[in-house]
Amino acid sequence: MKLLDKMIAPVDKALERFDPLWQAEHGVGGLRSRYYDKTGVAKWREWRGVKSTLVDYVAWINNLLAMAQMVASAPVPILKGFWEYRWMGSYLGTFMFIDRLFEGFRGPELKIAHMNMHAIVQSLTKKIAFGLKNDGRLGGGPDTENIIPYDETISPLFLMGFKGLYPFPMQTLPEFIICDIDQHIEPYYIDVAESFGLPADVCSRCAAETGVALDDAFLKVGKVMLSTNMPCNASEATSMFQRRRIDKPDFPITLAMQHQAPEAIPYSRATLEAAIAFVEEHYGVKYDWDEFAKYARLLNEQNNIELEKWEIFKTPYSALCGIAETLYRLYEWQSVNGQESHFNKNDRKVIKLMRKCYEQKHEPFGGKTRHRAFLWGPSAVYYCDFPTWVQNCWGINIVLNMDSTMGFNMIDTEDRDKGMDDLTALTQRATMRHHAVGGWENVNAVWEWAKRFNCDMVLMNDNIACNGMLGVHGMMEEQARDLGFHFIFIEHDLQDSRTVSRQDMRNCVNNYMSVVLGEKPLDPTLVEFDDSDAY
Amino acid sequence: MKKVCKFLLKVLGKLTVIGLVTFAVTFTIYMTNAENKLIYYVVRPFLNKHYDSQVRDRRIV
Repeated sequence: MKLLDKMIAPVDKALERFDPLWQAEHGVGGLRSRYYDKTGVAKWREWRGVKSTLVDYVAWINNLLAMAQMVASAPVPILKGFWEYRWMGSYLGTFMFIDRLFEGFRGPELKIAHMNMHAIVQSLTKKIAFGLKNDGRLGGGPDTENIIPYDETISPLFLMGFKGLYPFPMQTLPEFIICDIDQHIEPYYIDVAESFGLPADVCSRCAAETGVALDDAFLKVGKVMLSTNMPCNASEATSMFQRRRIDKPDFPITLAMQHQAPEAIPYSRATLEAAIAFVEEHYGVKYDWDEFAKYARLLNEQNNIELEKWEIFKTPYSALCGIAETLYRLYEWQSVNGQESHFNKNDRKVIKLMRKCYEQKHEPFGGKTRHRAFLWGPSAVYYCDFPTWVQNCWGINIVLNMDSTMGFNMIDTEDRDKGMDDLTALTQRATMRHHAVGGWENVNAVWEWAKRFNCDMVLMNDNIACNGMLGVHGMMEEQARDLGFHFIFIEHDLQDSRTVSRQDMRNCVNNYMSVVLGEKPLDPTLVEFDDSDAY
Repeated sequence: MKKVCKFLLKVLGKLTVIGLVTFAVTFTIYMTNAENKLIYYVVRPFLNKHYDSQVRDRRIV
């Protein structure tokens, strides 16, 4: 290997002037120099040195093959899907999405980031093919009636106890994942909802989901619908709109809002048990605890590895960081939730690499990190590739996202009674539920988490349409001052990039870093640029 | 034996050429960002035109 490195070194030296990180260091360009204005279309791909460029190229090929496999597995439904659903067109932006997520990544952090992303691509492409193949709107398929459609914020693990049935997250394909890939897709669905008089100052995620329902852009699958009040009260409203439009027998899985109170467990457990009985009744399938336990063990392993990752996150030597951590954890927990064993395989490989990097004291991003930040952020961090941008522009390493602290308790797979309580505790702590829902203690826990991960900075995404969180704005600022954290509120409108643009979001950080801290950017080409027409 | 070796070398040679050509073509597409340019400037505008012309039944009942 060392011989190979010696052979590559002169080539890297000869071509280093094409590397945007080198350009930024030498004041002759930077990561933004290779883009056409506004569009986010790069003139050429990033030159990262021979080895890292090849890692990126191989990952690109692998993702391309996963997509080709998806089309080959269901060519007609996929084509029909592209023709029927506007959101399917947005998936064509996936390659650009991946490129911008891992800009500036080199070496092990790039390798790990691509391993995680490829697991997501494999999972999503299979989901798209399976969903469209069985979509009633496109003619249906052999499993149309065997699918259990559920609200994506319900953790689907408990549904794995139904052998022969397939849990399917309704909003993930047309609303959630795609808003990360294409900033222009959800405003269309938001407008559909608002054209019926839905106020424009509600949570844009809920407005978008409502618009998807009204536009008949949800897949038509299953016999029932499992809706929920999770993550927050705005979701209760959107569930009501969706159940009316979807027009199927509906079971609202209403879990306790104050979910950390001891009395929450019996209440929420009874709801989950009632949901199980509801599915049994409508599908005529008996719940199989042993079948469930198989998948619970997979999730236990994922959570065990996650806890080990957290120990490495506390040090400066974590090769997994930023967007590669936040997006992967969110998808692996909320969408996979123990259902897909290839995520376990990926986790085992990633932790092995992380251990190696830790032993070698490898500092990511060439050791250019100036601040370690704890992120309190939802989807908006993805549609503007936020963690990648803050690292490349200001040297702020996003160590962990609050959303990554979703249910990490283990599930007892031997004792059914204890296991049900464990499952309930885990299910209650889904996306956004740890930090934004469940009382002041949950919100306030961000300081403790930031301290635990040795962060000097907290970045808090301020959803301007979140009526719940707007109330704590001033209190959080006061707390930050008292506790001595650098603290930045980043305004955004979740899935509506028209209200607060990506540049407006970036300016929140730019202003703090230049005015309050008086720091200079690592890459000046990233401070201000127009990407309003980009996906 | 010689014939088998010759045949194997021929196959190996052909595979190497195919591999090199495939690498050259795909790496060129990759480095020039050609697939994204095609999607952004040609495919998506075409699809968006189609989506904008769709008549969707959005009646609330």
